[in-house]
Amino acid sequence: MLRWKYSRPLLIAITVIFAILPFAGDNPLSKAGLQQTMAVAFLFGALALTYDLLFGFTGLLSFGHALYFASGIYVTAILINDFNWHFLLAILGAVIFTAFLAVLTGSAALRTTGITFAMVTLAFGQAGHVVIARDFGDFTNGDDGLPVNADRLPDFFIGVVNTKYLYLLALGILVFIYFAAWWITESSAGRVFAALRDNEQRVSVLGLNPNRFKLLSFVLSAAMAALIGAAMLIVSGSASPRYASADITIALLLMVILGGPVTRWGAVLGGIVYSVLSTRLNVLSEGSAFDSLPSFIGGPLSEPAFTLGLIFILIVMFAPGGISGAYYRARFKYLNKGK
Amino acid sequence: MSSLEVKDLHVTINGSHILQGVNFFVPENKVTALLGRNGVGKSTTLKAIMGLNPGTGTIKFGGTEIVAMPTHKIVQMGLGYVPEDREIFASLTVKENLALAERDEKPNYELVYSLFPELLTRTGQRAGTLSGGQQQMVAIARALLNKNKILLIDEPTKGLAPKLVTEVANALAHVADHSTMLIVEQNLALVKAIAQNIIVMDQGKVVFEGGPENLQDDSFVKSMLGVSGGHK
Amino acid sequence: MSTFLLILITGLGLGALYFLVASGLSLIYGLMGVLNFAHGAFLTIGAFTGLWVSTKVFPNPTTWTFIAAMIAGGITAGLFALLMEQLVINRLYNRHIDQALVTVGVSLVATALLGGWFGFDARFLPTPLWFMKAVTIGDAIIPIDRFIYIGVSAILLIAMLSILKFTRIGLIIRAGVENRSMVTALGINVRMAFSTVFFIGGFAAGVGGVLISVFSYGVSPLMGGSWLIYGFIVVVVGGMGSVAGSAIAAMLIGVTNQFANYYVPGLGDFVVVIILAAVLLTKPSGLLGKVSH
Ligand SMILES: Nc1ncnc2c1ncn2[C@@H]1O[C@H](COP(=O)(O)OP(=O)(O)O)[C@@H](O)[C@H]1O
Ligand SMILES: [Mg+2]
Repeated sequence: MLRWKYSRPLLIAITVIFAILPFAGDNPLSKAGLQQTMAVAFLFGALALTYDLLFGFTGLLSFGHALYFASGIYVTAILINDFNWHFLLAILGAVIFTAFLAVLTGSAALRTTGITFAMVTLAFGQAGHVVIARDFGDFTNGDDGLPVNADRLPDFFIGVVNTKYLYLLALGILVFIYFAAWWITESSAGRVFAALRDNEQRVSVLGLNPNRFKLLSFVLSAAMAALIGAAMLIVSGSASPRYASADITIALLLMVILGGPVTRWGAVLGGIVYSVLSTRLNVLSEGSAFDSLPSFIGGPLSEPAFTLGLIFILIVMFAPGGISGAYYRARFKYLNKGK
Repeated sequence: MSSLEVKDLHVTINGSHILQGVNFFVPENKVTALLGRNGVGKSTTLKAIMGLNPGTGTIKFGGTEIVAMPTHKIVQMGLGYVPEDREIFASLTVKENLALAERDEKPNYELVYSLFPELLTRTGQRAGTLSGGQQQMVAIARALLNKNKILLIDEPTKGLAPKLVTEVANALAHVADHSTMLIVEQNLALVKAIAQNIIVMDQGKVVFEGGPENLQDDSFVKSMLGVSGGHK
Repeated sequence: MSTFLLILITGLGLGALYFLVASGLSLIYGLMGVLNFAHGAFLTIGAFTGLWVSTKVFPNPTTWTFIAAMIAGGITAGLFALLMEQLVINRLYNRHIDQALVTVGVSLVATALLGGWFGFDARFLPTPLWFMKAVTIGDAIIPIDRFIYIGVSAILLIAMLSILKFTRIGLIIRAGVENRSMVTALGINVRMAFSTVFFIGGFAAGVGGVLISVFSYGVSPLMGGSWLIYGFIVVVVGGMGSVAGSAIAAMLIGVTNQFANYYVPGLGDFVVVIILAAVLLTKPSGLLGKVSH
């Protein structure tokens, strides 16, 4: 077994520590700024995991995953603002709506495979982005974004002093998604997903309809993305068309590659690291960190995309499997040393 | 030196171990036929020799190890290949298909057009619109255009009408006279007519090497190739 | 009638720009199976080179300096494409997903580099004055820049088709799009063809970048991103690997986009992606598709 026997207790311990830190006296995580950064990072960690379910576990390269995330954000916001729904009900509504949207778009897209599938999903994603950015139905407020009506949210989610509860909400969502993904991938359906990735014929030979399972994987990850989207709405306070852009899906792909696909914790870690790096590098660049460097180096270094892109290229070329892949390789070496 | 020696050749495709230690020898200036039931790995063996699917083991051509070489370098050593499904370029004209195959300073168009005069009348036609037999002629012509040291030919008469089988067979017999050839062929009459050696494969391994006289023996043919009658 | 003509020619002009982005994408994918996400960066690099030529090298824009800007943009982008192909794509030989991923990385890095050096604000690319004029056809008044886009694209289309049709490397590329391994089985080293399509694709995108700077009134590191997506759409609708298919699809999409936008502002982009989905679902290989990787 490649898994370290204490890995689960360790994971639980880390989670508990992260949950306690904001309340445990003076430490970096007791500051609202870092809490906010981490809350967003947790949500991206969870979102990356839902993408890993598609890309890593089922082998479906989708370029439209952002659509379902954005659908979660916008539908929740619209149901709260325009229809006066209770926020929990709105979230539920958004998840169900998104699942339907995924059934519809997914079953169309799954008539194709490979790169064509990637392009169809890209098209659907772009269509969603256009609808949101141009505000066709007069629901989304276009490029300006859509702030959620704070009056309709519980008080403990409002205001800078309460950022720690947003942080807890995000952490809770991450834990929930992690367990859901764990349950799905370890279930019998999850094993079919893995078989689909490795060899589709083998699944057909067993008399199972490959497309049914692909659709299941597609819809499940979309519904989870919608839930994360709803949480993102609460954490960030407003919906914005950039959540629907292809850049988000590409970022998810980067996160999964960075952390390493098919290990669950790899995608989560990749998402968190990516998200924190892109916010923090931004902060660094606004400060004076790179001022002492000549501008032709300092300029690009102050762009998070530069560093992230470079890391990404190096990982794809020299360290496939990302962080978690490197970990398992090291552990494999270590375990075999004794023999 | 144009003999070909294959030793302990293994090929794994998508996790299936298709060639499991293939050994055989193709002597110079002789025609060797590679036989066996469908799916035993004959085409895979030819492709492995051409570097078209990665194999492990030893493949020596004229004494040079070619097993990990890129395909184009293998071909440039003088191996001509006629693949199983012809693989002509459908959107290119006959002329373009042949032009693409030119490697020698003076490609031997006389030979090609004397063997397949039909092609001469169709140089401007898109290869995809040719009949199966004509496509096969283009595929063979591509290999004959250059002075190759050995020809690897995979089921040249597969799916052809009887009249075309004869035409292709005649052309091959003509070429066979003065070259080294490894041919995969189901038509035993053709094999008997041109081959000096036969190799039989089963389930990813060579199970028999010998002379074509064995094909006279019905029970041999039946047990080795699973077809009845060497009398076509 | 005059409105119709204006929209039609504007659409064709837009389509011409799409074509410059899409043709290279299509050849690269067709021959190598690489979905090139760095193509938007090629475009941006071409645009910045064009900007440099039109402001620093020749501060007084004339027709000739603009032509020089386009050629310089094309060459720089082509060389960058070649460099990327040699340094990263080639090392991931036949690992198509990894190749696509690494181009995503290259695109991020290139965009960030340009952003770090020049900032993200759009800069104006000066053009000869006559670019601002309009011509009258019947009773339609049509801005002249449309014709420039169409003309330059037509020249590049003819050049590309001629290379494909009349040169040996073109023959190898056409054959390689259809069946690459059989090309190698004829003793041909296809790497030369890989480098060629990257250079040609980069060149067209670079020229496109300069023209797009005129079309969208500015040069910015982020300009490549959205054009890349439309480039993909055109390629897929036209059929991967077919330059002629890209040209037809580009015009179709450009014109449809403009007409849809005329009736409902903003609808154009939406209609375009719906066309894409419809084409893919009914004919996954695209209009003139040759490859099915
Ligand atoms: N690309 C491939 N993927 C998976 N299996 C393959 C592939 N190519 C060939 N095979 C399998 O390898 C075996 C040998 O095939 P082949 O060499 O074509 O046989 P032959 O030419 O003797 O009929 C067959 O069982 C076939 O199904
Ligand atoms: Mg065969």
